[in-house]
Amino acid sequence: MKPIRNGVLALVLLCAGHAFASQEAEDLKRQIESQRAAATDLERLDDRHLVTDEITLLKSWLDEAWQQYSKEEYKKVREVVDRCIAQAELIRQKITAAKMTAYANDREAAVRATHAKIDKTKKALLDAQSTKKALEMTSK
Amino acid sequence: MSAKRLLLAMLLVGGCATPPKPNELESFEKLKQSPNYQVAQRRAPDLVAESERLFSKANEEWQSNDLDLSRRDSLMGSIKLKTALALVEYDQSKARADKAQADLRVVEDEYSRVNKDLVATQEQIALLQKLKETSSQAAMQQEKMKQEMATREAAGQARDKIAAAELALKGAEQVNAQEYAKVEYQAASDTLARARAQLDAKDFQMASQNADAARDQANRATQTAKPTYEQTASSTASQARNEALAKDLAGIPGAQVRLERRGDVQRAAVPIRGLFARNSTVIQPGHEGELDQIASIMKKYPSYNALVVGFTDNRGRRDALLARSQAQATAVYSALVGRGVEAKRMVVSGNGSDEPVSDNRTSAGRALNNRVEVIFLYQ
Repeated sequence: MKPIRNGVLALVLLCAGHAFASQEAEDLKRQIESQRAAATDLERLDDRHLVTDEITLLKSWLDEAWQQYSKEEYKKVREVVDRCIAQAELIRQKITAAKMTAYANDREAAVRATHAKIDKTKKALLDAQSTKKALEMTSK
Repeated sequence: MSAKRLLLAMLLVGGCATPPKPNELESFEKLKQSPNYQVAQRRAPDLVAESERLFSKANEEWQSNDLDLSRRDSLMGSIKLKTALALVEYDQSKARADKAQADLRVVEDEYSRVNKDLVATQEQIALLQKLKETSSQAAMQQEKMKQEMATREAAGQARDKIAAAELALKGAEQVNAQEYAKVEYQAASDTLARARAQLDAKDFQMASQNADAARDQANRATQTAKPTYEQTASSTASQARNEALAKDLAGIPGAQVRLERRGDVQRAAVPIRGLFARNSTVIQPGHEGELDQIASIMKKYPSYNALVVGFTDNRGRRDALLARSQAQATAVYSALVGRGVEAKRMVVSGNGSDEPVSDNRTSAGRALNNRVEVIFLYQ
């Protein structure tokens, strides 16, 4: 009886292992697809094309993950997917930072432009004051 | 044998040597040199710590010649560190943006203030320009009014002068200058006509000048004509007066007025007879009316002086006759003075029997010669 019991246990373990592997594969597949969608979103978010290289890299890694997945190299797929997730986060942060930088540049440009306007207005004011003085002199 | 050993030794040395550093690891090392690395450690300690761990692991993997793993961990570590650096960049940019925004508020306030000053000054300039324009217009208006007043004044002056010239010309006409000073009068008249035409043509200056000239010419015409005119007028008047006097004298009842001229002097002699009894020097009653009338005529013509002259016939001595005639004339003189005739206007004389008017050989003739004559004298 003992050999039979061991055989059944081995069979159960084999089936459970197979089921677990199948679930992980599904999970990885879902993550790859999710990251592809995320890459597309990021591409749309990058309206100024500031992180084009990073996105390209992300896409190439997703392709690599998919190749590994096809080969059922799930461990490698997991590594590449983790890297893709980190890369996507990096891209998001870079886009946010770039947008903030652009906004800061814009504000600084506005400050410079306002300074220029002030200088121009001050000059116009000086001219106007001279004109006014001359008019006051002539009106006396 | 030794060659085999040497080859083996070389293979061992070669097998134990460190492999070339993967590019990913080198990039990771460069990334760690970022000036913001320390800031990233403070901003995202977990990410940097993870990155550090992966860096150490990648190095170990490289050292142990496990290059694929080293590349994998270098990539992951780099991504983590880049993410941390991106967070730092975000923070720095945000700080810059916040500062720029604050600066922008300040400079916009300053711009607003300066611009407000400029607008206010420009408004003041506009007002000053308007004021200047208004003043200029007022000055022009004033100048125009001044010119109009000057023109009116000049026109008024010209009219006044023309009126003065007309008056002078009228004065000249009163002395009949058109006849007695024809040239001057005509010149004045022509000049006045010119002045009037110039007044109509609004050439007031020339009108004034010509009016002045016309007035002077008219005055000269008056001066030229006046003596002739006065002489003529005087003779005409005196002639009229003389005629009137003669007529009045002729109106005295019984008087036979005798008009005669001696030299330049015209005489109107009124003989009064029968005033006295023979050899008397007292006026007999009944002759008051006659004397009244003579006195009245003398008072009517106060500019005429008169001689009161007594005459007698030739009966008697000459001196006696002269005395009596003188006395009789004086009696008439007194009677006239008594009737209000000014004494100084009369001269009394007695001519005796001189200047008889009739024959002394007859009583009628003698009656005519005995008389007192009141002789009005005039030119």
